[in-house]
Amino acid sequence: MKLFRKIFLGAAVFGLMASADASAAANKLVLDGSTTVGPIAKAFAAHFTKTTGVPVTVSESGSGNGAKSLINKTCDIADMSRPMKDNEVAAARSKGVTPVEHVVALDGLAIIVHPSNRVNSLSRAQIRGIYMGRYTNWSQVGGPNAPIVIIQRESNSGTQDSFKELVMGKDNPISKRAETQASNGAIKSRVASTPNAVGFVGLGFVDNSIKALLVDGVDPDARTVKNGTYPLHRALFMYTNGQPSGVVKQFIDLPKTPEGKRIISETGFVNYY
Amino acid sequence: MNLGTRKLLDRSFTALGISSIVIMGLMLLVVLVPIVSNGIGAIVFKSTIEHRKMLYHEFNRGDKADLQREIASSDASRKEIYRMLDTFDAELSKMDETRQQEYREKFEQVKNSLRALLGPIPGDEEPALARLKYGQTRWEKAEEKLHELLFEKKWDYSNPDEMAKEYEVSRSASFEGTSLVRLFPYVEKNIDRLLQPEWTFYWGFITDSSVDAHFFGGIWPEIQGTLFLAVGAMLFAFPLGVIGAIYFTEYARDGFLTSLLRSANSTLAGVPSIVFGLFGLTFFINTLKVSESKSVLAGSLTLAIMILPTIIRSSEEAILAVPKTYKEASLGLGSTKWNTIIKVILPAALPGILTGGVLSLGRAAGETAPIIFTAAVSVGSAIGLADVLSSPTPALSWNIYNLASEHEAAAEIRHVQYGMVLALMTIVTLLNMSAIVLRARISKKLKG
Repeated sequence: MKLFRKIFLGAAVFGLMASADASAAANKLVLDGSTTVGPIAKAFAAHFTKTTGVPVTVSESGSGNGAKSLINKTCDIADMSRPMKDNEVAAARSKGVTPVEHVVALDGLAIIVHPSNRVNSLSRAQIRGIYMGRYTNWSQVGGPNAPIVIIQRESNSGTQDSFKELVMGKDNPISKRAETQASNGAIKSRVASTPNAVGFVGLGFVDNSIKALLVDGVDPDARTVKNGTYPLHRALFMYTNGQPSGVVKQFIDLPKTPEGKRIISETGFVNYY
Repeated sequence: MNLGTRKLLDRSFTALGISSIVIMGLMLLVVLVPIVSNGIGAIVFKSTIEHRKMLYHEFNRGDKADLQREIASSDASRKEIYRMLDTFDAELSKMDETRQQEYREKFEQVKNSLRALLGPIPGDEEPALARLKYGQTRWEKAEEKLHELLFEKKWDYSNPDEMAKEYEVSRSASFEGTSLVRLFPYVEKNIDRLLQPEWTFYWGFITDSSVDAHFFGGIWPEIQGTLFLAVGAMLFAFPLGVIGAIYFTEYARDGFLTSLLRSANSTLAGVPSIVFGLFGLTFFINTLKVSESKSVLAGSLTLAIMILPTIIRSSEEAILAVPKTYKEASLGLGSTKWNTIIKVILPAALPGILTGGVLSLGRAAGETAPIIFTAAVSVGSAIGLADVLSSPTPALSWNIYNLASEHEAAAEIRHVQYGMVLALMTIVTLLNMSAIVLRARISKKLKG
């Protein structure tokens, strides 16, 4: 019987401690959503916790999941690499959630290949052709004689939606041969280890393990994304439920502060403000 | 069959058995050796002066006087490098337009390699991200970066029909005839003084929080989250499971309903864990709203449902294994049924029940899918016991996946990932070992 009593006592103490401070823990932030916004959100979180002491958690589960979390009121801020869709806004309204959009940063959708690929530049039409499955060999777009391995993102991804909108257009489906990866990081490492592959990632994920192509003759960098000459540019968002106030507002306003701007450019993205 | 054939068959079967055990042992070795050796590399490694700077600034650890002495001696060597950079900068501005352009980009590459190796160059603006504030903290990474400084990676695109081949060009050759050419042999020769490597036992890897999304620091929040989730799951699943098992063995009458319940329980044990994860999200978080967001509580409940069938099953087996005579003796002495269960049957079955419980605890600690949607986040600070009802937490199993695929610099911080794998393996092994010890102790007590 002693053992049982100990267990009960332990559980009671555990429960008491948990309930005693439950109200004090309300001052925290929960972020969910895009893997593209992930590096910014994580760096912001570290900075925010350090300066204000408010604990911030970040999940990287994709833009679609971010929207769902906001609709179900399970996060304070939804990171998204695309604007909310009409049906998501409607779903939010029906649950009494008013999504409010905040631009965090600008991003260029970089088309990446293995550095050993001689292709340096593609037009948007060529990229569309590759992803539709019309071009199946790199030699058709000025590269070596090697089959093209197409890599795309999952349906939950905002980057995938941006890519479809900016490159594919409405009536051109992506080839069924395309391989799906679940995050920007996964696409990057797949392309870095596959000489024949092509993929797309946010600008902050570009490093020297892969090669970012010129699109329509324009190099993706901070300048061309900011002035809009790089054709595949887009905004990255954070959504809140209603106009933010308190710590949420403080967090959402980070991209406007000098430190926030530094963090955004150091993670490889482009400042909006 | 004559005796000769029988002996031969017998021997060959023995040989087969031994060889399969040997193969299994080898496989275990192939899996375990890299895990352990790489994992230990996260804690015991050759650290550079940048590591000690990082520890001092981010965690306020280390001896200030010692560190300053080291920094002074390292800076004395570094000054020479920065002087060379300044000299070349002046030389560059005197060159004509075309040569300036040619060198400008290469010079920028050299500066970036130096930043990666030694940290910010004097005159740079103070970086906001910790990952840019320090140079390489680990010696083996520093050697890689040194190589990148000395040699430029290029691709040979001359054959239009094939993928290019990689080749390397010495950077000093491309700065031939300028003052910067002296920099490369200087850095190579003085790298030990510049970075002052020494063997370190970084126990903080276990007890520190991460700095700047796992670039530096340790994995304490993940370890703590894993323990919270596993113990929480146990708090819910263990009592329920034992009660269920008592019902099945002592109270339930054989009939349609009981056999239905039993087969439902077995089926539940075979459901893929991701299904439990999604169930946990829709049921505990979205329907019951046990917490505002993902939380340890929701994750524990989900894990509890996942391990419940196993606990019921193993407890049932343990109770059934108690000799019938115990029960008969107790009842024969006039004890009630409830009393018999509590005082006779459960204590006798306890070793078996506990073993099943602790093995399930190990499984709960290692599962990823059930906590993706219910509890796990990719970064967050260590939560207090008071926050388990409302806060999500990082957890080893999920963060190993996150660092392997989603992290923006996965290749730069492999050692953290290896360290996490070893930590998770150690936790699960310790749990299983404690099950064995506990079982042995209780069995001994019962016999004595």
